[in-house]
Amino acid sequence: MGSMDNTAKRLLERLVRRIPSQMLKTTLDKWSRLTSTQRQSIDYTESKWALTEKLLAICEENELTVKHIAELEMIHVIENPNLGMWYAFQLMDPQDDAHSVELTQFKEQFKSHLRELIRHVSIKIKKHTDEAVWIRIAWGDTFSRPNHLKPTYVVHYLQTPYVFLTSLTSKQKPLLSQALVLSTRYQAIKDANLSGRKLTAIRDLLMKQYLQVFPTKFPSPLAERNRVVSNLHIEKEQAGSAANRHQMACEAFGDGILPQLQSAVYKLETKFRDHTNKTMTERDETFRCVVKFASTNLLESLRHSASSGVASTPVTPLLSSVPLKGKNYFVITDNGPGPSSQMKPSQK
Amino acid sequence: MSLLKPFSKLPGLNTANILPAGKYEGHLTSTWQTTWFKLVESEEQFQQSLADALVEETSVTVNVRLAKSLPLPMENDESRPRIDLVVFIINLTSELSFQSAEASLKYLDPGYFLGKVCFMVTNARNASAPAERLDAVRKLAASLHCPLLFAEDQTPDGVASATERLLTILKVAAGLVPIATALYVSNLTRCTLPLDIDQPSFD
Repeated sequence: MGSMDNTAKRLLERLVRRIPSQMLKTTLDKWSRLTSTQRQSIDYTESKWALTEKLLAICEENELTVKHIAELEMIHVIENPNLGMWYAFQLMDPQDDAHSVELTQFKEQFKSHLRELIRHVSIKIKKHTDEAVWIRIAWGDTFSRPNHLKPTYVVHYLQTPYVFLTSLTSKQKPLLSQALVLSTRYQAIKDANLSGRKLTAIRDLLMKQYLQVFPTKFPSPLAERNRVVSNLHIEKEQAGSAANRHQMACEAFGDGILPQLQSAVYKLETKFRDHTNKTMTERDETFRCVVKFASTNLLESLRHSASSGVASTPVTPLLSSVPLKGKNYFVITDNGPGPSSQMKPSQK
Repeated sequence: MSLLKPFSKLPGLNTANILPAGKYEGHLTSTWQTTWFKLVESEEQFQQSLADALVEETSVTVNVRLAKSLPLPMENDESRPRIDLVVFIINLTSELSFQSAEASLKYLDPGYFLGKVCFMVTNARNASAPAERLDAVRKLAASLHCPLLFAEDQTPDGVASATERLLTILKVAAGLVPIATALYVSNLTRCTLPLDIDQPSFD
């Protein structure tokens, strides 16, 4: 029997499996729970299984527990925020002192509020270099110890209303919401309808950390705006309208490199409309369907569609709402914003 | 109406000017069952590759004026050189592409149809290109006495061979080939309709 119980072992095994061998060394160094001799004794070219055994032995030697392994996991997740699914939430109705909440206050308040709401919970809070506060929560309940194998990660940027979370059950949601709202001095929290695999992408989108282009009456000279012409002998006749489209596309989506959003989902609850299909159009009920746009970089694809004329300009609000509102999940009804007829797929 | 006229300007020395016109558009396709849309890339890339290949010609200076459709913007009228050949690039998988070409025809002075217009179609072998559309293009080209070229736009070889054939026609249209005139050559190259064009096809 050692300090490493079953959960700790499983957590460690899972971590070693997930972390690529090349990165394992740096991650372990950052962890600083191993002595330098111990670190040097690890051969990273061995198989993952052998590495796991070796690490288990060292952890036993140092009498480490599941809490320490959780630290290691947290280091890994902070270094690799673009794995797994993240969901954005927004805090609403700040109280007067919401904008001056600083780190120590937030940490203490969050821990104490969450512990009040749920007896067995393990909380780790870490501040990252880029002003993000990372929280790892292992949930237990009245009868069981915190489950470190299914933690929730929360990222909050102090003095902004934005919170990003990984997996959360419906039972845990109200508890976390309450703790967050109280410790940040806001009054409510709502789903921001933005999710994705890359934390950096949804963060940059929501916090508008990319080049914005503002409507201007006198855009820069055509020559700079246009694509570089490959040859002096090739000229575009309709360059003016191309530049116009490009300007409008950039106004809608931004310039330069855009956050790597990978999908946008539109849930349609509108009536069916297609003059060539009378049977369907005559139905009274709404035609429910879900439209999903997916891409390696959705925003750049949409911008390119607009600037090249594939998508009509000015850009429809259905598409420009993605960067404007920082959302990638929309429910479109017949009474909703934006003409729903624009979403009708053309049957070709 | 702003017609493009073939002889209203002076030609350049050893120069040929070509206007490939092709509407750049993608289209969203969908099927009943799935909820996936696939945005289909269109022929702007082909138009650009064609232009790049055309200007590489060394025996003649080739100038390319790219356009999506006619009429051409009036602002460019002054600076635009004499256009020797207008090529309509039609993607057979796109109805819009065909319609745009058809609509652009009326902005050409009738003088162009004496050997200075040709049609180039892409994706003729594509399964989603309905046979009726190709027939419609054929009829259009035949009625206007224009040649109809088929191009393969996906490979560099395809682009190269399309370029070669266009250059042959272009040189004649620009008056750079002794003995041959555009009108004369067009009699030989113009599209003709097979006698059974209105009969239903195999499949």
